Amino acid sequence: MKKVKVAFFDFTCCEGCQLQVANMGEMLLDVLDLIEVVEFREVMSEKSNDYDVAIVEGSITTSHAVERIKKIRKTAKVLIAYGSCAAIGGINGMKNNFKLKEIREYVYQKDAKHFDTIPTHAVHQVVPVDYTVPGCPVYIPEFIQVLKAALSGLPYNVPDNAVCVECKLNENECMFDKGVTCLGPITRAGCNSWCINNGNICYGCRGMVSNPAENGQKDILEKHKISLEWIENKMNMYNKSRELGELK
Amino acid sequence: MGKYVTLKKSDFNEFIEKLSKIKPVVAPVAKGKKSFAFAEVTTGEEVALQYIPTILPPKKYFMPQKEKILEFDKKKQDWTPILEYSEKIIFGVHTCDLAGIQSLNIVFTTKPKDINYIVRKDKLVIIGLECNNYCDEHASCAVMDNHLPNGGYDLFFTELKNSFMIHVNTQIGDEIIKRIKLFQEAKKQDFQQLDDLRAAKRKIFKDEVKVGHEGLKNLFDKSVKSKVWKDIDSRCVACGNCTNVCPTCYCFDVKDDINLDFNTGARYRVWDSCQNENFAKVAGGESFREDRGSRQLHRFMRKFSYPVEKFSRYFCTGCGRCSRTCMAQINLKETINALVKEKK
Repeated sequence: MKKVKVAFFDFTCCEGCQLQVANMGEMLLDVLDLIEVVEFREVMSEKSNDYDVAIVEGSITTSHAVERIKKIRKTAKVLIAYGSCAAIGGINGMKNNFKLKEIREYVYQKDAKHFDTIPTHAVHQVVPVDYTVPGCPVYIPEFIQVLKAALSGLPYNVPDNAVCVECKLNENECMFDKGVTCLGPITRAGCNSWCINNGNICYGCRGMVSNPAENGQKDILEKHKISLEWIENKMNMYNKSRELGELK
Repeated sequence: MGKYVTLKKSDFNEFIEKLSKIKPVVAPVAKGKKSFAFAEVTTGEEVALQYIPTILPPKKYFMPQKEKILEFDKKKQDWTPILEYSEKIIFGVHTCDLAGIQSLNIVFTTKPKDINYIVRKDKLVIIGLECNNYCDEHASCAVMDNHLPNGGYDLFFTELKNSFMIHVNTQIGDEIIKRIKLFQEAKKQDFQQLDDLRAAKRKIFKDEVKVGHEGLKNLFDKSVKSKVWKDIDSRCVACGNCTNVCPTCYCFDVKDDINLDFNTGARYRVWDSCQNENFAKVAGGESFREDRGSRQLHRFMRKFSYPVEKFSRYFCTGCGRCSRTCMAQINLKETINALVKEKK
C-alpha cells in the first residue's frame, strides 16, 4: 500500500493531543508503516503543501486562523478534527463566556488593538470535517480506530451514548455514590471511561450526547443537591462553543 | 432431599484457600463505599459474605462485556472462529443471580444455540449463597419467587449460627467436597436450624409490590398506553445503566476490528443496550424507539411480558440492580405500584 501523506496542524490548543501520538509507543511504528508524516511542528521542521490527510488540533479563535483552516481544507482530501479544542471548541470556549472586547482587553491590556480575536469555534463550525476524535487529550485507541477508518474510507461515528455505559462495563463505583459530581451521564462515550477508571471524574471533554434529557438531568442534580449553575459551569469548561452555530 | 454437609465458619478461610488451588475463584468483594463486584480471591478474608448485589451480575463470566468471536485474514480469504473461555469457580452467587444465570441458559441454549456461551458455561462452577434477610429496599425477590433456592448451582451455602449448611447439587459439587476434606456430615440439629431459617425467611420475605407474581404479566400487557411511561420519559437520561447491570439483559452488537496491516483482524461481540440512542435506529436515520419512555417500556416488557410468552418465565429476578443504579431514580417497585394504582 502506498503511504498516505499526513500533515499535523495546530490552532488554539496546548498541542498535548499531538504529543499523545508520540506516547503511542510501539504502535507508532505500525502507524508509520502506513503514513508519511510531511508536516508536524512538534517533531520536525519540514513543511509541506502536499498532503492527503490533515490532522487538525486546536480551535479557531482568530480571523487569520479562519483563512488558514480554509486553505488546509482545500488542500486535504480528508480532514480530521483532533482533540477537544478542534472537535468541540474545548477549554478555549470559556472565552465565549465574556464579551469579546472585554476579554480581549483583559488579556492583552494596552496592546489589545493589535490582537484580532473572534469567538472560539470548533473546526466543524468553520469548515466541513470528515472525522472527529474528541478528548482532552485524545484517547489513543480511539485515534487508531479513526485513522483506520480514514485510511480505508469508512465512516467513524463518535458514540452517542453516555460515558456511564462504558463506566458500568468497567464496574467502577459510581462517582455520585461517592458524593462526587461527574459529567459521565451527559458526555459521549468512546474513551472507555478512562478518567473514572483512574479515580478521576468525567469533565465532559468529549462533548455532550446529542439528546441529553434536560428534565432527567435536573432530577439527578436535585437528588444529589447540586445547583444548576454549578453544573453549567462544569459543562461549560469544555462545551461552551456548542452554543455557536456555523461561522458565517 | 439430596446430600447436605456442613462447614465450620472457622474453616471458611481455609476452604477458600483450598478452593482457589483447584481453579481460580471469583467472589463478591467490597468496591468503594457501598459497592461490590465479583473479582478473583485467594483467601476467605477477601470475600464479602454480607453483600448487596454486585455492580455487574455474574453474567460477565457467562457473556463477557467484549468477546472475540473470530479472526480473519483478507488476503488468504480465511476466517477462524474463536472461542474464549476460562475455568472458574464463582463463589457466593445469590438466589436472584442464580435465576439470572438460569434465564441466560435458556436463551442461549434455545435454537439458534450459542456454542460460545454453552462451552463457556460448562467451564464455570457455581457456588450459591443464601440471603438470610433482605439486602436492601430495592430487592423484589419474593414477588419474583427468587428468595429461596431454585437450583442452578453445584453447591449452595446457607449461613447458620456457627457453620455453613451446604447443599451438594451436582457431581462437580460433590467432587469439590471430597477433595477439600473440611466438611462434616449434616446433623439433625443442622437441618433444624435450616428449617427454622427458611420459616423465618417466609415471614420476612413478602411480595414487595401491590400485585402478585401471576398478575405481573397482565399488568404490563395492559400498560402500553399508560401515563407512567410519559413520566418515565421525562426522567430517563438513557445512560443505559439499568440494562448493563441487569442479570438477564443479553443484547449485543457485533463489531469488526481490522489491524493496522489492513489485512488481519477480529470480530467482537460487545454488550449493547436498548436504552442507547442508536439502538433502534435503522438505515435512513429512522428510530423505532426515539423517546426514552418507549425504550423503558420495552425494557420492562422484556422482563415481564415477552419472555413469559417465549420461555414461560419472568426475566426480572428481583435483584433490584436497575433501581439501585438508576441515575434518575426510576425505581422498579415504584413503577409497578404506579401501574397498579393507575389501573384501580
